[in-house]
Amino acid sequence: MDDVAVADAALRYAGVSVGYHGTPVLTDVNLELAAGERLALVGPNGAGKSTLVKSILGLVPVLAGTPTVLGRTPSRARTQTGYVPQTDSLDADFPVTAGQVVMMGRYRRIGWWRPTRSADRRAVHEALERLGLADHARTHFGVLSGGQRQRVLLARAIAAEPRLLLLDEPFNGVDAVSQEAILAVLRELSTVGTALVLSTHDLTVARELADTVCLLNGRQWAVGPPAETLTAETLRRAYGGHAIELRDGRTVLVEP
Amino acid sequence: MIEPFTVPFMGRALAELALLALICGPVSVLVFARRLSFVSDALTHTVFPGVVIGFLVGGTEGIVVGALIAGVVTAVVLTLLTSGGTLPDDASIAVVLTAMFSIGVVLVSRRSSYTSDLTSFLFGRILTVTPRQVAETAVLAVVILGLLLMTARALIFRTFDPVGAAAAGFRIAWLDLWLNIIVALVVVAAVRAVGTILVVALLIVPAAAARMLTDRLPVMAAIGTGLILLAAYGGLLASWNASVDYGVSLTSASAVVLLLVLAYLLLLPLGALRLRHRRTRTAPQGRTSPHELVG
Repeated sequence: MDDVAVADAALRYAGVSVGYHGTPVLTDVNLELAAGERLALVGPNGAGKSTLVKSILGLVPVLAGTPTVLGRTPSRARTQTGYVPQTDSLDADFPVTAGQVVMMGRYRRIGWWRPTRSADRRAVHEALERLGLADHARTHFGVLSGGQRQRVLLARAIAAEPRLLLLDEPFNGVDAVSQEAILAVLRELSTVGTALVLSTHDLTVARELADTVCLLNGRQWAVGPPAETLTAETLRRAYGGHAIELRDGRTVLVEP
Repeated sequence: MIEPFTVPFMGRALAELALLALICGPVSVLVFARRLSFVSDALTHTVFPGVVIGFLVGGTEGIVVGALIAGVVTAVVLTLLTSGGTLPDDASIAVVLTAMFSIGVVLVSRRSSYTSDLTSFLFGRILTVTPRQVAETAVLAVVILGLLLMTARALIFRTFDPVGAAAAGFRIAWLDLWLNIIVALVVVAAVRAVGTILVVALLIVPAAAARMLTDRLPVMAAIGTGLILLAAYGGLLASWNASVDYGVSLTSASAVVLLLVLAYLLLLPLGALRLRHRRTRTAPQGRTSPHELVG
């Protein structure tokens, strides 16, 4: 069973529509992602990027089509998927240290009864170290900067050793140092076979990091390599005419 | 200072409150962190008709059974009302709360000893606690602490990051039901000693006060327990002295709760100081999401 799962694609969406209470947020999504590949979900606010990420976790009702995650249904694949939420979705006043947040990534492995083992503590330490936060294990989560908090949340996901890692707008409110640290770790992860899905409205990040870009706005407007999908023409269509091409060939999006 | 507690009923009262301190310290931390104060308040009120019916059917011994049934039913209803990721509907909880409370009052008002019964249901009878009641509270305390320890990690994860916990495979609705049942059991354990009204103070004040002193959840729980113990000792002593030395009747449970609230008020400035200290240590935020995106 596990061998079959390893051979399977990290992600396969065939004609998938997802939404809440029967109302679709995203329709007809078709995606395929292999182990170690990096997929960026790009689109304006409210395009359905977060909804798609949550559907990969099995947290959003599927209205049509078949989503397959690591060869299983999304909710069955949860033990092998990691999730990095947006930092500002969390309560910064919650009394918890950075180390404790990262340890949460191990809770599923630890189970209900057993105390944490040295292997768990080692995994937590290593994850924090990879993100340059080894000295902050005992620091209160709320005291950290936005970028450091985002790094802690990535460390938490890494500590769970996922085969598919999902990140929801990982660079929102993140300083340059943290962004570089996060990008470096994401590249390392993909070289060892971890598949990545990240939602972003930062086209630069999508262009630099992703093998595949999926352009979303209520539906899937384009999917493919960044050079083919992040063109002025497709962006203008997906964003509804708010893309302007500059003379040097770059594309700028202007909010209405 | 110890002498009053050598009197058997005072010793039992202190033992009962010590057991409640043991469970209310940790449980109050979760109530505080989950912002369940209003839900807890609702639970204490909806348990009230259960207490009354239990008493009408089975006398004093029926109170726990009645409270238990009402508590578990309420826990399920409140979980359903607040599930689905939406915030608790304050209005619907308030309607349930007042309706159930009124039913309790109507039922109790049919009895001839209306006033004294109502008083004891609302404010408890800490000084008439029997050895059997202390034993029952001890059993409930073991059950509650067991339920809490079993799920502490998952409950904390869910409280801090509900989507993250769901993504990790935890079933949020079950965890919410679990915690609501734990809170209901605490209300059941405390209802005869401190009554349905005052138990809410034991569920909310300890953690709120402890939060002024620490950032760590286990320490908060320990401080919460310690504060209840101090308030229990001080409150019982105060009401004993008031009655014996000055002939003033001071309800023991109220004295305990008042001392607890006093501790909270005394710790408030400390909390404000800690907050200011933390704010100054917080690093400046990074850039915000750019409106202009260059590709």
